[in-house]
This record gives sequence, C-alpha cells and structure tokens, in this order.
Amino acid sequence: MAYSGIGRKVRPNGGFELAWWFFMRISGLMLVFLALGHLTITHLINSVENINYAFVASRWADPQSGWIWRLWDLTMINLAVLHGFNGLRQILWEQILSPSKRVIASTIIWGLAAVLIIGGSYSILLFQENREYIQKWKAEREAARFAQSARHIQ
Amino acid sequence: MSTSTSRPPQVYRRGTWARITEGLRYGGGIGQWSWLLHRVTGLGILVFLIIHIIDTFLVVAYPELYDHTVAIYGGSITGLPTSWSMNGYYWPLRWAFRIGELGLIACVLFHSLNGVRVVMVDFWPRASLHQRVMFNWVLGIFVAIMIPVSIWVLLPLRHAPEMHSRVITSASM
Repeated sequence: MAYSGIGRKVRPNGGFELAWWFFMRISGLMLVFLALGHLTITHLINSVENINYAFVASRWADPQSGWIWRLWDLTMINLAVLHGFNGLRQILWEQILSPSKRVIASTIIWGLAAVLIIGGSYSILLFQENREYIQKWKAEREAARFAQSARHIQ
Repeated sequence: MSTSTSRPPQVYRRGTWARITEGLRYGGGIGQWSWLLHRVTGLGILVFLIIHIIDTFLVVAYPELYDHTVAIYGGSITGLPTSWSMNGYYWPLRWAFRIGELGLIACVLFHSLNGVRVVMVDFWPRASLHQRVMFNWVLGIFVAIMIPVSIWVLLPLRHAPEMHSRVITSASM
C-alpha cells in the first residue's frame, strides 16, 4: 500500500484493497442516510424511554410497511458491520506488519463480523410478533396507568 | 547539508506506547485533527454497533429480557437499595445513558460529515485546494445540528420519565 506520509493512505493501486477502498466510500455514503435516518427516528422522534418490544414489533411486523423497515435495517446492519470492521482492520494493519499475525487478526476480525452479520440478519428476517406478550404488556401498562392516576387523586 | 551532524532516521517501531503515539501522529494541522477524530469516532461507533446488534438479538430470542434491557437505558432498575432509587427509577443511570446517547449522535454525525468531505476530496482532487474551507463547513454544519439536538435530547432529564413504574412490572416477571 502506498503512503504519502505517516499513517496517510492514498488510493490503492488495485486488487482487493482497491475494492475495499471503493466499498468504504460507497457504503459510507449510503450509511450517512441509513444511520442518520435511523438515529432520527429512534432517538429524536422517539426516545429510549418509548422504545421496547412493542415498538420494534410495530415496525418489523407491520403488514404494509414492515418489509421497508426490515430492508432498511438489513442493509444498514450489513453495510455498517463490513464498513466498521474493515475500518478497524485498516487501523490494525498499520501496527500489525507480519503476514502470520495478519492472518490471525483477519480470522478474529472477520469471524466476529460474520457472527454479527448472521445474528443480526437472523433477528431482522426471522422476527415474528409475539402477540401474547404484547397483550400482556398492554394490560400491565393499563394497570400501571390506573394505579398512577389513583395515586394522583389521593 | 552535512551528513556527519544529522541524526540517523528514527526507528518507527520502538515499543507499544511509541507505536500508539506514532499511530496518532500525522502531518499536523487540520488534516491531523480531522483524521484523528474520524478514527476515534469510527471506533466508538463500532463498539456501540456490536452492543446494539446483541441487544436487538434479544427482541427475537427473549422479549422480556429485551424490555428489561431497554428499561435500564431509561433509568429503571430493580435491586437497588430503596433509599437510592425512587420507585425503581435511579436518575444517574438515565442521565448517563442520555449523555452517552448524545455522544453517539455526535460521533455518527461527525463521522458522516467528515466522511462526505473525504469522499469529495477522493473523487474530485481539486477539492483539496479548498481543504480549510471544507473542514470549516464540516464543523459549522456539525455545530449547527448538535445545538438543537443536544437541547432536545437533554431537556427531558428535567423530569422523571412518565410511567417508569410500568417497565418495572413488565421486567420483574
């Protein structure tokens, strides 16, 4: 890889590293919209205090728009994991120079990335709404609201 | 230039600490700081991403445990001494998570804006003539967005969250 100074990478000449170079830029531009949109919906329009099982189910299991949320999250999770772990690899590759150590580091990095991509995609694709659990949660929320309003009256 | 007085070139790899500090070094100036911030925010987001994929896995595997986990993000926790928490609500926990949430938003926003700048320079080399202006735009947009977002995210901390007790009832099963 070519360097124009300490730590400064310039565009690779070809091969696998050039493919990664393009991937980082294209996935990065897509993640600007996917991740900032996701943060806006979950942290600004909603908040950590409103998000729970029922919220996630209302998005992923919606008969009309559910597939849009699932496609969004699936694209985001795959791009973000690859983008993030390749970024980590680029940082580590400045320190790990010996080929044998790079093989070990690659195995750990891409092993972990594979586990997260498979586990994350599994969650998104195979999610099925547990209606019984949501009913129970709604009943408990009503009971808690009733108890709270009763406390206010007293 | 006389070679007899010049020192030999410094060896790059001297030890773990030197490697870390050298790894943080760059040419100096704006380029160094944007590069370092891009690296640090990227690593921060990656750590959060790993945690976030694991907690979302609970949605499918254990709904009760998922609700219990996100309730902790909101400051509801069981098992603390009653003198510490108010009906299962422990405010420092909620404050810590809200401030962390703001830090995450700041990391993603900076990494996005600076990333767009990097891509512009990569695909349009003449942009490097306007480095300083472009980085000032990154900082300007970042600050302009972060001011209202910070107010929006931190303002709810004035009051205890409404209905925090219901999360406890659903989590204590």
